Order: sequence, then C-alpha cells, then structure tokens
Amino acid sequence: MRTATLVLVAYGLCVVLGACWRLLPIGLLRDAVPELGALTAAYLGLTARRDLSPAIGGSVVIGYLVDVVSGAPAGLAAFVLGVTCLVTRSAQQRILVRGAAMTIGFSAFVALVASVLGLLVRGAAGIPVASIVVELQHLALVTLATALIGPLVWRVFRRIDAAFARTHREREAALEGLMP
Amino acid sequence: MTLRRRLVDWSLTGLLILVPALVLRASLQRGTPSAFDAAILRITAPLEAGVTWIAEGLGGLWSRYVALIDIEAENRELREDNDRLRKELAEMTRRAYDVAALEELAVLKKHTPTDTIGARVIAAPLSPQFRVLRLRLDRGQRDVQPNMAVIAGTGPVGKIDKVYGDYADVMLVSDTRSKIEVVVKRTGARGWLIGLGRTDSYACTISALELSPQAEQRARAGDELVTSGVGSVFPPGLVVGKIESLLGDDGMFQKVEVRPAVDVSRVRAVMVLLANPPPPDPDAKTKKKSEPAFGLRAL
Repeated sequence: MRTATLVLVAYGLCVVLGACWRLLPIGLLRDAVPELGALTAAYLGLTARRDLSPAIGGSVVIGYLVDVVSGAPAGLAAFVLGVTCLVTRSAQQRILVRGAAMTIGFSAFVALVASVLGLLVRGAAGIPVASIVVELQHLALVTLATALIGPLVWRVFRRIDAAFARTHREREAALEGLMP
Repeated sequence: MTLRRRLVDWSLTGLLILVPALVLRASLQRGTPSAFDAAILRITAPLEAGVTWIAEGLGGLWSRYVALIDIEAENRELREDNDRLRKELAEMTRRAYDVAALEELAVLKKHTPTDTIGARVIAAPLSPQFRVLRLRLDRGQRDVQPNMAVIAGTGPVGKIDKVYGDYADVMLVSDTRSKIEVVVKRTGARGWLIGLGRTDSYACTISALELSPQAEQRARAGDELVTSGVGSVFPPGLVVGKIESLLGDDGMFQKVEVRPAVDVSRVRAVMVLLANPPPPDPDAKTKKKSEPAFGLRAL
C-alpha cells in the first residue's frame, strides 16, 4: 500500500511537473525536466525494508508510467529505474540521506546514475542518441534540475511514509529520514 | 529472513528487472504503443490537459496582471519614442516631397527654352470646400513681374497676378480671369482655356472650340489638351489637362469641361518663366545653304 501510494503520488508529480516545468522562468533548465522517476526509485530503494521486490516493482511501474507519459519506448525508463533502485538499495547501509545538502547531493547522484544508465540502454537497444556533447550538456542540466527539486520531493515522500507509520517512533523516524 | 524467502525475493527482483527489458525489446520491434499503453495514455491525457490548463491559466494570470510592474514606465518610454519617430517621419516625408518637387522642376527647367526661376509655395488660401484659390510664392519684385507664366512638373499652374514686396500671388488656370490658348492634341482644334472659378473643383472650360462637321474631328472626353504657344506666355506643348466631360454645343462651338493636369493642392514648388518663349522659327523646315568660309562672297 505504501509503495503503491508513493508510485501514484510520484506519477501525479510527474504529470504536474511535466506540464508546469516549461512555464517556469528558469532559462536553460527549461528543456531539462527533472528525473522524478529516478528520485522515486532511489527513495524506494533506499527505504526498502526486508524485501527488495516491492521497491523494484514500484520502480518498474513508475518507470513504465514515465515511458508512457513521455512517449519513450515502453520499458526503457522501467528498466533504468529498476536498476537505479538496485543501485540505491546497495547504498542503503552505507549512507544516511539527511539534511538539505546531503539530499541535494544524493538527488544529483541519482539523476546522474539514471541518465547514464538511460544513455547506455539507449545505445545498447539501438535507439538513436544525440552527439556526445549534446547528451552530456543535457545530462548536466537534468542532474542540476533534479538536485534542485530533490529536497522537496523527498520531503513529500517522507510525509507519505510518516502517514503509513504504525507507531509514533516510526513516524518521527520517517520524518527525520531515519527509515528503515 | 529465511533463505527461502530471500530466494523468492531475489527471484522476483530478477524477474522484475527482466520484464522491462523484454517489454523494451518488444516495443522497439512493434514500433507502435500497445493496447495497454493506449489505455494508460487515455487515462493520463485528460489529467495532463487539466494540469496544463491550470498551470497556463496561473501563468497567464501572473504575466498579465502581476508581472506588469515595469510596464507603465516602459510604456511611457515607448510613447515618447513613438512621438519622436512620428515627428521625424513627418519631417522626412515633407523633405522627400520637396526633393521630388525640385527634381520635377529640374527636369522641367531642362526642357523649357527660356529663362526661368524656381519659387517655393509659401501659402495657399483655401475655399470653404478646401480648394486652393491662389498660390503665394517666395519671389517678389526683384525677381518676377505680373503676367509671367508659372508652371509645375505636370503642366501650367497659372500666371503671376500680383507682386508685393518679397512675395507674389499666382492666378490659377481655374480662375475665371485666366485665359490660355490650347490645342486639342488629337484633332488640332484650338480654343481658349478659361477657368470656371468653382470653389469645389479646379474645372475649366474651352471657349470657342469649333464644332467640326466630321464626328471624329470633334473633341471627346479624355482628349488631351496642350498649350499652343501662340499669343500666350506659356511655351507650346505643355500638357494643360484633359477633357472630362462634354456639355453639348450651340451649333458652332462645343462646350466641354476640362480637368487641369496640375493638382494645385499638392504643388510645393513652381517655376516662373522670366521671358516669353521665343517665337517659332519660320525657316525651321527650309534648307539653307551655308555661306562659304573662304573666298569671294556674292554680294
């Protein structure tokens, strides 16, 4: 239920962000929509409890929805976000994402991983890619955009986690970013 | 966590990673969205449209009402710029008009076989129907005299009427006192162009325009009139105007209405002919033997 809620909220945020992003007065970043799906997959991976499969499943579903909404070939973002979730799961025991700076840095890292993975998958699957300069420029802008909205998105996700907490301690831990 | 549960979890994880890869491969081979994709899109599209509508509405609200703080100052600057540019444009247009008029005069001077002097129109009193009654020139007693011909690029304007001080008034061809001998270019018929003195037009008529017994020799509407150069201060061949309408005849002469070639309301500069044109050379078409340069001359 928690994963489904997170996926649904992330999907809603993707739709809203996709519609609003181009209207914001943000200059160069206007063409670089943040990797909200990657942030969701990273959060799911980082906060996965015992079983990993629900987090991967949620990441794959949000990836599939991102594919459909963005017009990419179905399965591209789903596969990339599944792998991104795995990567962040491996970092679960090593880092603690707390505070604005850490959240921004981790968001940037996640966006970078997802973008590079996406580039590799597109190359492997024979999907046309732009010149390396353009791709790198876009990658940098997407990383920056994702890092900027990262703290806000993580705050929303933590609120959702707090809503699903069974005890007061779990709720406080979720809001503080100490889960699982 | 038991080993079995862990195995199931990892198997499920592997399967969940594998499925998107297979879906990607299938979608690349298929090329078009599947029915399931289309269904998701059908659900998503109205949501996206609604969000876009709200976002654009809010954005429009911002750009139309809130972000207009500096518009007033900018608008004032633009108005000032606009006023300045309009004045400049008016000035440039007037200068261009003057230059065009002077160019016409220069061409006219080149083809006029007599001494001339240019003059600028400085005033043009109007009738109640906004027709020019006479022109005032910036040439006075030192330059011009009454009865001198005044012409513009497209034809005769009139004659110098009064000269006082540094200025002179021109009696227009449409004035009732004006009288110029003209020729109907097509038929060669002669007559006197006389102004009708109307306050709502520059119309003239031709007095003593002979009614020819042959129909094709009679004047018609559209016939061009030129100065005859006989008994007049105007050189021959200047286009005076066109016959606008036929008003009938009295059995001996035709009555016509003429529209002058010169639109007096647009004249800014004119040329004043300082002397009457030389009379036509009577021996122009006869062959004359030149006298020998050396030797005895026959006396």
